[in-house]
Amino acid sequence: MKKSLIAIALALLWSTAWSAPREYQVHVDGLACPFCAYGIEKSFSKQAGVKEVETDIQAGLVRVVMEEDASLSEEQARKAVKAAGFSLRSFNETVEGN
Amino acid sequence: MIRRTAIGLLAGTSLLASQAWAHDPVFGLGPHTLFKGGYEIHVEYDREEAGSETENEAAVALRYGLTGDWVIGAELPYKRISDETESSSGVGDLTLTSKYRFWRRDTLALQESAAVLLGVDLSNGDETKDPALGNGATDWIAGLTYGYEGRKWYRWAAIRHRFNGENDQGLRAGDKTLLDLVVGIRLEPTPYTAPDTVWMLELNGEHSQRAELNGAGLANSGGTEWFVSPGLMWTKRNFAVKTGIQIPVASDLNGSQFDSDYRFKLELEWHL
Repeated sequence: MKKSLIAIALALLWSTAWSAPREYQVHVDGLACPFCAYGIEKSFSKQAGVKEVETDIQAGLVRVVMEEDASLSEEQARKAVKAAGFSLRSFNETVEGN
Repeated sequence: MIRRTAIGLLAGTSLLASQAWAHDPVFGLGPHTLFKGGYEIHVEYDREEAGSETENEAAVALRYGLTGDWVIGAELPYKRISDETESSSGVGDLTLTSKYRFWRRDTLALQESAAVLLGVDLSNGDETKDPALGNGATDWIAGLTYGYEGRKWYRWAAIRHRFNGENDQGLRAGDKTLLDLVVGIRLEPTPYTAPDTVWMLELNGEHSQRAELNGAGLANSGGTEWFVSPGLMWTKRNFAVKTGIQIPVASDLNGSQFDSDYRFKLELEWHL
């Protein structure tokens, strides 16, 4: 019984340690200037659970990394892009959380 | 006195300040707005010379993004105006503005959009000073603008009209119409956090109707001026520096008035 409990605890610890944060690729249309891209960064940073935002203007791509156990829906991404004054083209989850 | 007041009227109805927004031209109007919940702090210096008349103006403006397409703002200038014999300084008219982007077409790394601007220029500037710091009347501003913003090329076109009010002395500055055609180029596209420079060349036209005193037109007021205006915008992430100079290329002013020699503008802007 004691051994089983230790095994479960270790398994939980292992699972937590290797739980990858969710990551999304948000393709944005209308993004042309670096000064304007600041609005995208601010808009996504306001979303709950967002840890990191990276913007590639040339590719019209915003990479959003979440905190552990946090997620982002397509509707949230659409609203964030709209609030920044741009248009959402596509939304993909590239790293799935465990 | 009337001539001096007319000079003050012209100074008080300048459209140099209060129209500059973010990634817009230096002197013209563009459709750019601010992200929702965002603040813009804008500090500006303008200098204008026409014959023996000189106007220096420092202004601070605060703007707020109501939505991604709608921004409101307020701007308060501090002026120092002088002519051959007199000079005066103090706070000028407070201007409240709102810009709404009613059309947008977004594609990869390209944005085309159009916006309307509405503004009101209040009458708090002291019109009794000589030269006057305001025109003593409430004025309204309306504008329509189109912008094409790509990774390399920029294009803007705008028309603005200023409806000037009549002050307590029966003096009314002539309404003013402004036309802007602007091209811009980013010679080297840069990534998001790197410094970014856009060079601009503007053609700015201004037509003023005659000022009126108790309904009678003033001979030495109103007319048309055209300017060619090179400028640039330098940005790094959420900070921008814009500067440019308006060089007069054609002038047809009524009666006896000084033609503009030049106008200079320097702006600093933060998005928060």
